[in-house]
Amino acid sequence: MLDIKNLSASVGGAEILHDLSLSVGTGEVHAIMGPNGSGKSTLAQVIAGRDDYEVTGGSVTLDGEDLLDLDPEERAREGVFLGFQYPVEIPGVNNAYLLKAAVNAQRAHRGLDEIDAFEFLKLAKEKMALLGMDQKFLNRGVNEGFSGGEKKRNEILQMAMLEPRLAILDETDSGLDIDALKAVAHGVNALRSPERSIVLVTHYQRLLDYIQPDHVHVLSGGKIVRSGDKTLATELEERGYDWLKEAANG
Amino acid sequence: MSNSDKLRSAAEQLGPDGLSDLRSRAAENFGTTGFPTTRMEDWKYTDLSIASDISVAALDDFRVDLPPSYEIPDIEAHWLIISNGSPQVGGLSAIDGVDIALLSEADVDLQFDLPLADLNLALLSDGLKLTVNAGVNVDKPVGLLFFDDADTDSLVSQGRVIIDVQKGASVQVIEFHTTRGDARKYANVFVDLNIEDNARVDYARLQARDLSAVQTARLSVAAGRDATLRHFALDTGGKLVRNDLVIDIAKTGADVEFNGLYLADAGQHVDNHTRVDHRVGPAHSKQEYRGIIKGRAVWNGKAVVHEGADGTDAQQANHNLLMSERAEINAKPELEIYAEDVKCSHGTTVGQLDENAVFYLRTRCLDEEQARRLMTHAFAMGVAHRCPIDACTTWVDSHVEDALNALVAEDAK
Ligand SMILES: Nc1ncnc2c1ncn2[C@@H]1O[C@H](COP(=O)(O)OP(=O)(O)OP(=O)(O)O)[C@@H](O)[C@H]1O
Ligand SMILES: [Mg+2]
Repeated sequence: MLDIKNLSASVGGAEILHDLSLSVGTGEVHAIMGPNGSGKSTLAQVIAGRDDYEVTGGSVTLDGEDLLDLDPEERAREGVFLGFQYPVEIPGVNNAYLLKAAVNAQRAHRGLDEIDAFEFLKLAKEKMALLGMDQKFLNRGVNEGFSGGEKKRNEILQMAMLEPRLAILDETDSGLDIDALKAVAHGVNALRSPERSIVLVTHYQRLLDYIQPDHVHVLSGGKIVRSGDKTLATELEERGYDWLKEAANG
Repeated sequence: MSNSDKLRSAAEQLGPDGLSDLRSRAAENFGTTGFPTTRMEDWKYTDLSIASDISVAALDDFRVDLPPSYEIPDIEAHWLIISNGSPQVGGLSAIDGVDIALLSEADVDLQFDLPLADLNLALLSDGLKLTVNAGVNVDKPVGLLFFDDADTDSLVSQGRVIIDVQKGASVQVIEFHTTRGDARKYANVFVDLNIEDNARVDYARLQARDLSAVQTARLSVAAGRDATLRHFALDTGGKLVRNDLVIDIAKTGADVEFNGLYLADAGQHVDNHTRVDHRVGPAHSKQEYRGIIKGRAVWNGKAVVHEGADGTDAQQANHNLLMSERAEINAKPELEIYAEDVKCSHGTTVGQLDENAVFYLRTRCLDEEQARRLMTHAFAMGVAHRCPIDACTTWVDSHVEDALNALVAEDAK
């Protein structure tokens, strides 16, 4: 599904990602962990197409198609979804309007007609129920005045509506209370399928109790320094990252 | 002939009627003052020499008998038509509870205190006086249609309307400005609005002139005891536009709110000056203007809280979105406070679209132009939604959308 080969990226002249390689197979769930500032969000944003980051080397492909050549919206329509670590407030832009515009832009890309208004509402309500989200959020401005947890749920709602091929969730579990964490995990698990791949960026073992990953990677200093199965997460919880940083440098 | 002689002779051609004396006095005054210049503090950023050029050209070939021409906007209202500066008596429909008179036949006291008011009076063919009778709740909005239409040469039109809303009455007023034809046009419009005790006025000034038109417009409001005003101003048209909104609060309990949206594309200059005088308290005034600018705009909001106007609450805000590197805004809030126990606030922002948000929307499948349009639209509607007259909503929504599409479409390239 996702193939990242020897990716290097910089921002403002500083290289953040160094020669990073990562493969995510179809139907797999991968977790990426790692210290603050190690480049996890940078990686996620580069995959989604943020142009503040300059890709200085390497390649990123989705089912063989070069992603780096595409605009962010083209990547999104091709089925790449990024759940933001810090979802953006967009005052005055109606949440339901955005959801519908997003779904329709993606449908148009697939050669489908616009979604029927009734059908859309039914679908949105269904997904919201799944996430334990009040319907009043449909009529609010996008993330406008949402609490931290509400923003994260809203990301998952968008993901559920768009049904991406590849979902990258950047710390979607941060700032969630236990119920919200369960709801988000539920939303992610509902999406889990043999055709989809999911990349979870997280600091906490806790999320991985609810969403069992197939692989766990540690990103440190702009590269993957360790990969393993879910027991690696447990080990990190106990030992922290220092031993890995040392191993990587040595 | 000198320009002042031409003005005097034009003023004479418009009579004789009940306004003749006023016209010649006004022509005399304007002959000595002339147009305001950028040396004056109030006109620092807005240069009226183009208005002066059009006026001089129009006086060279002054016509008192232009045929009426207009097209009623698609807004449900009692429309009163002022075509090329002439009230169309034939088109005056009767409105229940509202007395309508021509200024030339009404007994009115017109002010001579501003050069543009003198110009207005000197060249005024006629104006309207509306009286909304005490306690009346007018069934539909009253629309003032300022329609200028000329194909060749230069056209100068003066509009003057006096509106008296008597005690306890309530009325919605739409002041609508539009044009047709290729002539260079300059319109100079004065409206005086007197809101008596316990009366309420909802007011929308919608300006959609062509992109070569020049406009100076002034609305002066006197608010009575416990009077209410909700005002919304929209400017999308005009090459050079200057609007003054002046509100005088001389009795307690007044509650005035005025909001505005201006779009200035490249080549447009839109200037909004507002002033509210709190002479007594408690009273409440609140304004928010927003601008979307590729060309040039000016916003100057002044609130004066006079000595003794204790308990005043005055708030003003102005937010601007710059859509091009060449866009320019001069935004200036001015608060002068000489009273105690006053709540005043002001905030001005100038910025661009949040690029984080543009990226966010693009990751949600929207293309860049759609993302920018959506955000710009949301910014505009944040204030346009406060238009207090429901009958205008559809028109305002679609007009703003069209104007923004034009502005953003070029921008994304
Ligand atoms: N615009 C920028 N200019 C300079 N440095 C930047 C910029 N953006 C990111 N960085 C730096 O890149 C590094 C990686 O940041 P990134 O956000 O990817 O870390 P992260 O692994 O997601 O951290 P966290 O766990 O705290 O979310 C950090 O040191 C950060 O300061
Ligand atoms: Mg991060």
